[in-house]
Amino acid sequence: MTLDTWREIWLVDFEFMSPPGERPDVVCVVARELKTNRTIRLWRDQLGPLPPYSIGPDCLFIAYYASAELGCHLTLGWPMPARILDLFTEFRNQTNGLPTIAGNSLVGALAAYGLDSIGADEKTEMRDLVMRGGQWSDDERNAILDYCQSDVDALVRLLPAMLPHIDLPRALLRGRYMAAAACMEYAGVPIDTGMLAQFRAHWTGIQDELIACIDADYHCFDGRTFKREKFAAWLVRAGIPWPQLESGELDLSDDAFREAARSRPEVAPLRELRSALSDLRLNDLAVGRDGRNRLILSAFRARTGRNQPSNSKFIFGPSTWLRGLIKPPPGCGVTYVDWSQQEFGIAAALSGDPNMLTAYQSGDPYLAFAKLAGAVPQDATKQTHGAQRDLFKACVLAVQYGMGSDSLALRIGKPPVVARDLLRAHQETFRKFWLWSDAAVDHATCHNSLHTVFGWTLHIGVDSNPRSLRNFPMQANGAEMLRLACCLATERGVEVCAPVHDAVLICAPLDQLENGIAAMRAAMAEASRVVLSGFELGTDANIVRYPDRYMDKRGARMWAEVTSLINNIRIKDVI
Amino acid sequence: MADVIKMPQPNDPFDPENLRLDQNFAETAGVEKLLRTVPVKKPHRQSLIRVHPSPDYRLQTAIIELHEERETYLVCPEVAYQETAEVTPVTIYTAITRPGVVFLWPVKQPTPDGKIIEWHRSAREAAEDAMSHWIFVRPNMALGAYEIVRAPATIPDPVWPTKTLKALLTIGFREKLINNLNHPVLQRLRGET
Repeated sequence: MTLDTWREIWLVDFEFMSPPGERPDVVCVVARELKTNRTIRLWRDQLGPLPPYSIGPDCLFIAYYASAELGCHLTLGWPMPARILDLFTEFRNQTNGLPTIAGNSLVGALAAYGLDSIGADEKTEMRDLVMRGGQWSDDERNAILDYCQSDVDALVRLLPAMLPHIDLPRALLRGRYMAAAACMEYAGVPIDTGMLAQFRAHWTGIQDELIACIDADYHCFDGRTFKREKFAAWLVRAGIPWPQLESGELDLSDDAFREAARSRPEVAPLRELRSALSDLRLNDLAVGRDGRNRLILSAFRARTGRNQPSNSKFIFGPSTWLRGLIKPPPGCGVTYVDWSQQEFGIAAALSGDPNMLTAYQSGDPYLAFAKLAGAVPQDATKQTHGAQRDLFKACVLAVQYGMGSDSLALRIGKPPVVARDLLRAHQETFRKFWLWSDAAVDHATCHNSLHTVFGWTLHIGVDSNPRSLRNFPMQANGAEMLRLACCLATERGVEVCAPVHDAVLICAPLDQLENGIAAMRAAMAEASRVVLSGFELGTDANIVRYPDRYMDKRGARMWAEVTSLINNIRIKDVI
Repeated sequence: MADVIKMPQPNDPFDPENLRLDQNFAETAGVEKLLRTVPVKKPHRQSLIRVHPSPDYRLQTAIIELHEERETYLVCPEVAYQETAEVTPVTIYTAITRPGVVFLWPVKQPTPDGKIIEWHRSAREAAEDAMSHWIFVRPNMALGAYEIVRAPATIPDPVWPTKTLKALLTIGFREKLINNLNHPVLQRLRGET
């Protein structure tokens, strides 16, 4: 496949306004056909019901960070181009894992290839002019169109420099996802804006009472200050082992709290409280006038190729309690659909480990692992051997996170010898997986790169981490799977509101919700079969129908406390 | 919502089914794990061990042990026949620990006069048992013999190295092969050095 494959090749750039949470408001578009050099410059009032360039399967649409341009297509009611090449995704793929000299923007890509671009100051000035909105003078219109055209000119220079390094068929698959990302960004997540307004109005005022409510079970706070020694005392009282820093101090990072909360749910409210007090900026949550949380998903930003949206702008950020704000609009429902044990299933399928495949297909891989290791009888169930199952579950997750025996011992609250035995049981039970996993790390070391089934590549830089390398095939192929599922679902008309790691949130009118869920699950099943060469992963669906709201169980306690405190204030205000 | 009709299109370059890259890194990594160290020793009392069941992986031969240095030398047959004083006839078994460490286990044979020593007899029995079971081999001083403690049958079989016994012996007895009567070890045992 070469550029000669296409009858027309269009390089396109839009200028648009995008206030937080809103859909793009198109200002102008410039497009150039590469073979004829024909250039189209159109101001917003000159745009018709169809694109001024060809978008059929015999034409190629090229942009830099194409989801922005494709979001403009959606705003304008234009169809999506059939074939999309995004030079951003390809620049990311060429440099993923390596330092870049000037970031991943168009300017950064030009700089990396030694090509000229307009200055950063000039770019900022022109962006400000676009975002100012309102009326533009004729001179300003021409300046904005010239600026927009300068980005198209940049694409024309960048394309031949990048092209020899682009695996075109797989690049187009990544481009296809940028269309799906645009659809999801356009849809957004429905938010209970009334409740959000209450939160924003009262958040500062309720913090002291909130601390008092939640800390009543922990006694870790002194005023608004979290006290390390009080926390240490609670850990002793609760019998919870906790990781330490090299200095010997308790590790108080959010990662440590999140990790602990996985195995000890009683840590979750404290983690939610600390996170909310330190990081929560409710005004940053990007909610449009239509009540949808909408933001750039930052596709392909993570090394694994996963989306990496802003934590503070996204409703699926670290504060899980805040997800209670997700509420379907009247007459609609939302559904959170996720793959069952996606990482384990990917590891099983890609390694071809027969025991791992059997364990996954049993529906309870943790108990199946315990049975295969001979730790529980063959007729054991979650009810009869829950404690042993929990240990083997912790071991499976530890392997996925790249934990060693000391960390696993801490997590399960057992001596290191128990953790070592568990890890050894994993290696003995899933031998083929370990051979494959070792080979992946060896491949990375020998070839300075690792790749997914669709060619998303991690280049091995100076700071490569062996644990990350070992986990890359699961995480990055999981990302491929999610991207393909999102492509299939959005192309089939499912309203996908957001991708969330190994899951999606969809929305549909109540009378179409079941069909929407079925279509989403079918897309996820198909994506898993494609990525895993025929092996299908199961999915779970958490359905929420109006007037109910979505709730993440990890944040349920915090949500209850916050809403109770706000209700009390409202009652006092009324009285 | 549009109906989904999946059309098989084997040559479609845009179909993800046709874009899948191999994830079999074992073929592409091109690395090979080399076995460069094979200890010659008795099993440790805390180690679970198995013994290779194939006759191709055991050898009736002779050794000389330097007890102070805790070194074991393999003696070639032509030397063993002529230098019998310190030479001990043994069966060398190929064994493996649970973490996968391959080692050579010399087990002494009955003495030519037919005298049975319980330590040697019990070690041979342990080696036989370890061909089909994971066991601990524990010396019991009061008993004057090794005890065999079997592990649960659920432990999976070991993965044996693909190298031949000859290759394992070559690694294990590297620089510890006595193949002539003027070998420094023999000279020392004869008091010549």
